[in-house]
Amino acid sequence: MDDSKTLNLNVRKDFPILSKKILEKRDLIYFDTAASAQKPNAVIDETNDFYKNHYSNVSRGVHTLSVESTFRYEDARKKVQKFLNARSENEIIFTKSATEGINLVAQTFYEKFMQKGDEVILSLIEHHSNLIPWFFLRDKYGVVLKFANIQPSGEIDIDHFNSLFTNKTKIVSLTHLSNVFGTELDEKAISICKDKNVPILLDGCQSAAHLKIDVQKLGCDFFVFSGHKTYGPAGIGVLYGTENLLSEMPPYQGGGGMIGDVSLEGASYAELPAKYEAGTPPLVEAHGLGIAIDYMNKIGFDNIIKHENEITKYAFNKLNEIDFIEIHGGDNKRNSIISFNIKNVHSHEVSSFLDVEGIAIRAGHHCCQPLMKHLGVNSTARLSFGVYNSLEEVDKFVTALHKCKEFFNK
Amino acid sequence: MNDLINDLYQEIILDHGREPRNFGECEPHNKSADGHNPLCGDNLKLTFLLNDQNIIEDIKFTGEGCAISLASASLMTEKLKGKKIEVAEEIFKDFTNLVSGSDEELKVLNEEDSLYALKGVGGFPMRVKCATMAWHAFKQALKD
Repeated sequence: MDDSKTLNLNVRKDFPILSKKILEKRDLIYFDTAASAQKPNAVIDETNDFYKNHYSNVSRGVHTLSVESTFRYEDARKKVQKFLNARSENEIIFTKSATEGINLVAQTFYEKFMQKGDEVILSLIEHHSNLIPWFFLRDKYGVVLKFANIQPSGEIDIDHFNSLFTNKTKIVSLTHLSNVFGTELDEKAISICKDKNVPILLDGCQSAAHLKIDVQKLGCDFFVFSGHKTYGPAGIGVLYGTENLLSEMPPYQGGGGMIGDVSLEGASYAELPAKYEAGTPPLVEAHGLGIAIDYMNKIGFDNIIKHENEITKYAFNKLNEIDFIEIHGGDNKRNSIISFNIKNVHSHEVSSFLDVEGIAIRAGHHCCQPLMKHLGVNSTARLSFGVYNSLEEVDKFVTALHKCKEFFNK
Repeated sequence: MNDLINDLYQEIILDHGREPRNFGECEPHNKSADGHNPLCGDNLKLTFLLNDQNIIEDIKFTGEGCAISLASASLMTEKLKGKKIEVAEEIFKDFTNLVSGSDEELKVLNEEDSLYALKGVGGFPMRVKCATMAWHAFKQALKD
């Protein structure tokens, strides 16, 4: 074993589920972090502790438990603000998911800033969650959607993207890190939006746990990510938006907690961020997300990035050497995700075969049906990495792939 | 090799997955339906000709999918061709029980049937939809 294979963040022990045996005997190799990350003990224990010792509703009562809950909920917001380097806590809206964040922006941005015939620019590699909310605007209000092409490498074709702008372009929404190719967005796309003075939303679902995010440096106007892909609980998402835009856009849902004053004739609305948080929020999940952020910070993003770059490169090169494997996209700016097909074997077969070997990968269209059509495939297999993966796991995976190929071509 | 995988991918499944029988469109036909698995993108189109004695005279399918979904569709067409609708519906019930790991006693299918090869799907709950896609299309076509 060469030295490079000793690379390991040594955090596997923090994740209790990773000691589970698959089919009672196989060690679990979890290569499906892009679908959802596993949870460290800290997150599990702290969410339990919240329910056991501190739980009540937030921002409503005056009793001790209400204070303790509210403190934890708002403390999580501070952690997220620092995590993204937002200017203020008012720019951090808790949602139930990243999907809800995109829907919120699509609906309320349209209401304030758009009309029939106005245009939105998206791309071919977007997840359904960054397509359908905009389809709604097209279907309901006659908004025009334009889609940037991609290059064979998996990166957005910047020249084509640039050519899509007109004086009717009102907003751009792009993935920060493709959930199929694992390619990072070319930051030129953001600077083009800046030059043209068009707001841009970044879908950060796949980037938030794998890159150091700085929304001010990135220069995006909106950024969404989900708790469950960043080692936190499911049921919590984050929408970052600049205070200017969030102040101007109308509320999304109506309900408790988002009001200023209500009479039977009408209502005024709360200031940011409460304005966008109608109803009892996922407060324990928000706290869990805060703990997950602490956990990632403790490992350190420099270490996370180094570790995941190395493992991604290692796996890419290993797979690239195998003649029966077709990798989708190139190796430029690829981070933590590799989609591939075994020639003449459906991704379902690959996934079921690997499952009994203890290896969890994703198979299917990855909520990117338009992209699958573009690639000319019905589905792909995808492996994706997190802090707990190792080069040894990649070796075991490659051995299993050879067995799989042999089995189905016997 | 793992038993679960060998149970799931019996030779007959791999064979029908690679070379599906009755692949194409039935002409003429008077019943048709599309099957679709939105979770993975697999899809098929089923067409058949039901004569005035309620017998399935001919039945074919086209589509794309994994070995399990193609083999299930292929074996289904072989099994249903020439059957009366009432019998076909009994087979449908038995088959869905068989692949979903239900304890329900089978009425018309038995271990001799080629469809029995799909019993291994029961060990992979996430693949049950692959195995039943064509069958639900068949049910749908009867309703339309």
